[in-house]
Amino acid sequence: MKYSMQIFRAAALVVAAGAVGACLPLLITSANVLSLMTQAVIYAIGTLGVGFLLRQNGHVSFGHAAYYGLSGYGIVLCSKFLGLTTGPAILLVISLTGLFAFVVGLVIVRTPGIAFAMITLAIGQVFYILMAKARGFTGGVDGLVVEMSEKIFGLSSNLFGKPGSMFVVCWLTLVLVVFLLSLLIRSRFGALTEAIRENEERARFIGYKTVVPRAAIYTVSAMVCALAGTLSSLYSAFVSPDSLHWSLSGSLLVASLLGGTSLLSGTVIGAAVYFLLKDVLSEVTTHWMSIIGVCLIAVIVFWPEGIAGGLSRGARKLRALAGRS
Amino acid sequence: MITLQVLNGLVYGSLLMIMTSGLVLIYGLRRIVNFAHGSLYMLGAYVGYTVSLYLNPWAALAASALVLAVGGFLLDRYGFRYLQDRDPLTTVIVTYGLLLILEDIVQSFWGKTNYTMDAPGILRGSVEMFCTSFPFYRLSIIIAGAVITGGLMLWLRWSRMGLFIRAASTDPVTTAMQGVNTDRISGGVVALGAALAGIAGVIAAPFLSLSPTMGSDILIDSFVVVVIGGLGSFGGAFIAAMVVGQIQTLGAVYLPEFASLLPFCLMLAILIGKPSGIAGSRV
Repeated sequence: MKYSMQIFRAAALVVAAGAVGACLPLLITSANVLSLMTQAVIYAIGTLGVGFLLRQNGHVSFGHAAYYGLSGYGIVLCSKFLGLTTGPAILLVISLTGLFAFVVGLVIVRTPGIAFAMITLAIGQVFYILMAKARGFTGGVDGLVVEMSEKIFGLSSNLFGKPGSMFVVCWLTLVLVVFLLSLLIRSRFGALTEAIRENEERARFIGYKTVVPRAAIYTVSAMVCALAGTLSSLYSAFVSPDSLHWSLSGSLLVASLLGGTSLLSGTVIGAAVYFLLKDVLSEVTTHWMSIIGVCLIAVIVFWPEGIAGGLSRGARKLRALAGRS
Repeated sequence: MITLQVLNGLVYGSLLMIMTSGLVLIYGLRRIVNFAHGSLYMLGAYVGYTVSLYLNPWAALAASALVLAVGGFLLDRYGFRYLQDRDPLTTVIVTYGLLLILEDIVQSFWGKTNYTMDAPGILRGSVEMFCTSFPFYRLSIIIAGAVITGGLMLWLRWSRMGLFIRAASTDPVTTAMQGVNTDRISGGVVALGAALAGIAGVIAAPFLSLSPTMGSDILIDSFVVVVIGGLGSFGGAFIAAMVVGQIQTLGAVYLPEFASLLPFCLMLAILIGKPSGIAGSRV
């Protein structure tokens, strides 16, 4: 009874959040602002992928840009060589990304703590180099134009290039991803992976296999990043190796840490704050990297739970106040 | 032809070894994987470049080692010392923040253009060896790498300080209880590690050009070496650096399309077999 109530409440929240987002383009008329917001939402989805991995597995990934960038290339290559229209190509690419990430995950989740970060960095760079060098397939550093078929999932492909309509598409995707991930976190599987994160050895003692669940979490996080990359390549109709570079992986990681990973909403807010801050700073000063670096160090040292931690502390205080009065 | 490539592989391997010895030492003492190590290398190269414009390349080497050593000491005294009890992921992120700051500093002082630095006059020209003519400067990199690595190994193995370092990286708490000032040792070791990165930067400058991406290029190769060798293992890093150096250069000749992928393939192959690297986790 209680569980179904929770689901009902969550579903109501999803509908409300979706509706609010869908109305925003009606209020905001500036195409620049909308475009910026669309970008921020796409990055927020990517950040959710990286943050989810950190939250459930305790794994720091410096290589998720690979999944983000490869999806764009995948769509182009699928429609070129398999003759697929864009919609099925997207589905195929995201499933293949998941399959590939699962295999990679089986190998790398066994490596202890910090080594994981170094390995993901290396794997991410492999794909960056591949895409930059394989000129015949990918156009090298110049990148590729993503040619779309007229209809994608029944929607006209023009909708995906305009900030107003694309914002709604991305926002609804974001809401859906948050909803699905929070279901996953609350499930038995979510509890199991958290137990493994806290103490892998004890989880093994009580009879659980630990490698496959961790690889599965890695897979989910990779697929979320691939989804973000897909949206990005649909929006700009262009992919280049820059979208696989490890500086993007680093940005996604920084954003998720600024937001804090204990709450999914915190991660999303962190992403929005990070990308808007970066945009504003890079217009004002050339030293935005230093400022972000200093902020990052300050947050991780003095406020390790990030914005999410602050939010949940605030919410607890509010609830305590409400309880007392 | 092949001897030339093997020699070139030794050159790159030696450079990687100088880089990774710093990474390994810092990891051993502070349990910190320094993501800013590539940026220290880049900073070293640029400082060396500027000094060499006004003085000579030897002064550049000394100046950059000194600057980086002081920087490394301050970094440990006011940074790493307070972070050693924190979650290792925290320290990774802090060094990543440091990387952003250092890259910004280098870019705002030296811009985004590429520079080239001349080798010192005495090291120019080439030598005849193994039936090929080999640039003398590259030979001297191999020698420098061998001297530095050999010196470090002897120092770690036979000196009193080396004993303390090995003890502290095995168990810092017990070592401190025996009356060893582990904080002072760590300060020295991080200074040494940073200085080695600076030296590697200056040494690399004449044969790889100076560019804003040089730091992350070598950082990634160094990480591959450290992961293959086993985190925190000096001997493992040595073997891995030599192997990766060879693979890079031989690959560039025989499989030019896939050369840059080979080290990663090797890394994955080793990880499948032995997740902790070839030498486990001993210094």
